Amino acid sequence: MNDSAASTPAISARALTKRYGTVLAVDGLDLDIPAGQFFGLLGPNGSGKTTTIHMLSTLLRPTTGTATVAGHDVRRRPVTVRGAIGVVFQESALDRTLSIAENLRFSGLLYGLGTQVIEERGGELLDLFGLGELRKRPVGSLSGGQRRALDIVRGVMHRPRILFLDEPTTGLDLPNRRRIWRFIERLRAQTGMTVLLTTHYLEEADSCDQVAFIRAGRIVERGAPGELVDRLGQHVIEIEGPKLDETVARLEPRFGPALREGDVAMFRYAEEDVSGLARLQAEAQGSISALRWRRPNLNDVFLWVNAAQTTDRGITTSAPQRPTSLAG
Amino acid sequence: MILRPLYAVMERELLRTLRQRTRLLASLARPLIWLFIIGAGFGTAFQSTELHYQNFLVPGVLGMTLLFGAMLAALSLVHDKESGVMRMLVIAPFAHHWIVLAKTLSAALAAILQGLLLLAVLAVLGFLDVHMRWGLLAIGLVACALACAGIGVLTAAFSRTLENFAAVMNFIIFPVFFLSSALYAVQHLPAPLALAARLNPFTHGVDLLRHAMLVPLGAPSAAEFSITVDMLYTLGFTVLALALASWRFSQEGRYEPLIYALAGKR
Repeated sequence: MNDSAASTPAISARALTKRYGTVLAVDGLDLDIPAGQFFGLLGPNGSGKTTTIHMLSTLLRPTTGTATVAGHDVRRRPVTVRGAIGVVFQESALDRTLSIAENLRFSGLLYGLGTQVIEERGGELLDLFGLGELRKRPVGSLSGGQRRALDIVRGVMHRPRILFLDEPTTGLDLPNRRRIWRFIERLRAQTGMTVLLTTHYLEEADSCDQVAFIRAGRIVERGAPGELVDRLGQHVIEIEGPKLDETVARLEPRFGPALREGDVAMFRYAEEDVSGLARLQAEAQGSISALRWRRPNLNDVFLWVNAAQTTDRGITTSAPQRPTSLAG
Repeated sequence: MILRPLYAVMERELLRTLRQRTRLLASLARPLIWLFIIGAGFGTAFQSTELHYQNFLVPGVLGMTLLFGAMLAALSLVHDKESGVMRMLVIAPFAHHWIVLAKTLSAALAAILQGLLLLAVLAVLGFLDVHMRWGLLAIGLVACALACAGIGVLTAAFSRTLENFAAVMNFIIFPVFFLSSALYAVQHLPAPLALAARLNPFTHGVDLLRHAMLVPLGAPSAAEFSITVDMLYTLGFTVLALALASWRFSQEGRYEPLIYALAGKR
C-alpha cells in the first residue's frame, strides 16, 4: 500500500442517512476508519448495521450524507468501490447447485481474475480451512461452517483492501467460529486489510481496534474495547435478593443507577479496591441472597449503553459514579 | 474487463442446462409431441399444395424449443434474486445493467443449445434437408433465441417472486406461442389476432427459421415477412427489452426491496 492510500481513511462517512418512508434505518452516521484498522460495528438486530454495510458497499443509495470507501465516493464511483472491497453477507452468497471449485471460479471471473489465479489462490485459501479435498463437492452438501468458510474465501479471493463482514459467525459452533477468526487474523497480519465487522457475539469484538455501538441508526458509544470497558468501571457488582426493588432503591444513591437483568441487579463500581464490598455484604444481610463482583467486559458496555438509551435515565458510560461512602 | 464476468454467467448457465437432464429431455420431448401429434392431426385438416402441415410445423416447434429454453433460463433471474447468486453478482465490480445483458446472452445460449439438440433429432428423423440455408438458419436461431430471452428478462425484471411462475407460464409463454406464426400462417388469422401475431417478436423469429428451412425447399409462401423485417424486428425488440429490463433493474424502488431480501429482513 502506498503512502497516500495509507493516509486517507479506508472508510469515511459523514451524516450518512437512510430513510425508508417514515423509518430512519440509519440516522446521521459519522465514521472514520483508518486503513488497516479492525473496526467493529455492534448493536442489536434492526439497529442499522446491515443497512450501513449495504450503503458503504454501494448496494444501497444513502438518502442523504456522504461516504467514501477506499478513497472513492460510494454514489459516484460504485464500481471502483466494489472492486476495492470484499463483502461477506449475513446470508450465504453461493450457488448451492455448483461445486466449491465452480463457485470460486464463477466469483473469481466476476472480479476479472484469470482461471490460473483463481486455481492458485482458491486452492491456498481452501487449504487453510481444510476444504481443499472437497473442491468437487456441491455447496448444497456442505455443513454450515464449511459454507461460511467458503463464503469468506469467496469474499477475499480477489484480495480486497477492505473487507466487510456482516455477522460472519452467526449460527456457527465454537470450533468453526475460532477457525474463522484465526483466518481473519492471519489475513490481516499478511495483507494489512481493513476489516469492518458487525456481530452480536461481543467477545469476538474484543480483538477489534475500535468499536462503535449503534442503536436505532445512531452511534451511541465508540472507542477502543479496552477503554470502553475501563470507562464502565473497575468492577460490576451483581446482587440477587428477595426484595430486590427495595435493595436497589437503597443502594442507588451510593452506587449510581442499577441495571436490572431478570432477578439480578447490577451496579458499576469504580474502585479497584473491593474490600468495601465485603462490608456491604455484612451490612445488607437478609436483603441480599447473593453478591458477586467481577471485571466488566464488552457485553456489559453493550448492556449499559442499551439501558441508557431505553430508559433515558441519563446513565452514561463516560464515567461511573464514585460511591460516596460504603460505610453509609 | 467485462468479458470475464459475461463468460462466467454464460458458463454457469450452460453447466446448469447440461446438468438438468430432465429439463433438457423435456425440451426435446415437448416439440416432438407437437410435431407428431398436433402435426399429424391438423395435417389432415390443412390442405396445401406446397408442403405438408407437419413440415410447415418444423420451424414452429424449433421456435418453441427456443422460446421455452430461453424463457425458463431468463426467468431463473427471479430465482437468482432469491438465492446467493444475485449477491455474488451485485457485489462484483461492474455496473448492474451488465447483469441483465449477461443473463439475456446466457438464456439465449441455453436456448440455442436446446435448439441444436432438437435439430440433431430432427435430422435423424429426416425433417432436415441439405438444401436448407444453413447460414441463415444459424442467424435465425440466434435472433429468435435473443428475442425470446428478451421477453424472459423483461418478465423477470417486472415480476417479484417465482410464486407467480404459473401465471407467467399461462399469461406470457402460452400467449406468445399461440399468438405467433408458429402453428399457423398469420395471414389467415382474424384481424385482431393477426395484429397481435405481427407485433409478437417470436413470430418474426419463427419466420426467419422458415426462410432458412422451408423457402429454399420450394415453399416460398411459408415465410410471410421479409428477412430484413424479421431481423430488424427481433434484434430491435431484444435491444428494447434489454434497455427496459436494465432500467427497471436499476430503479431504486425496485432494487431496494431486493437488497432488503438479501439482508434477510423480509
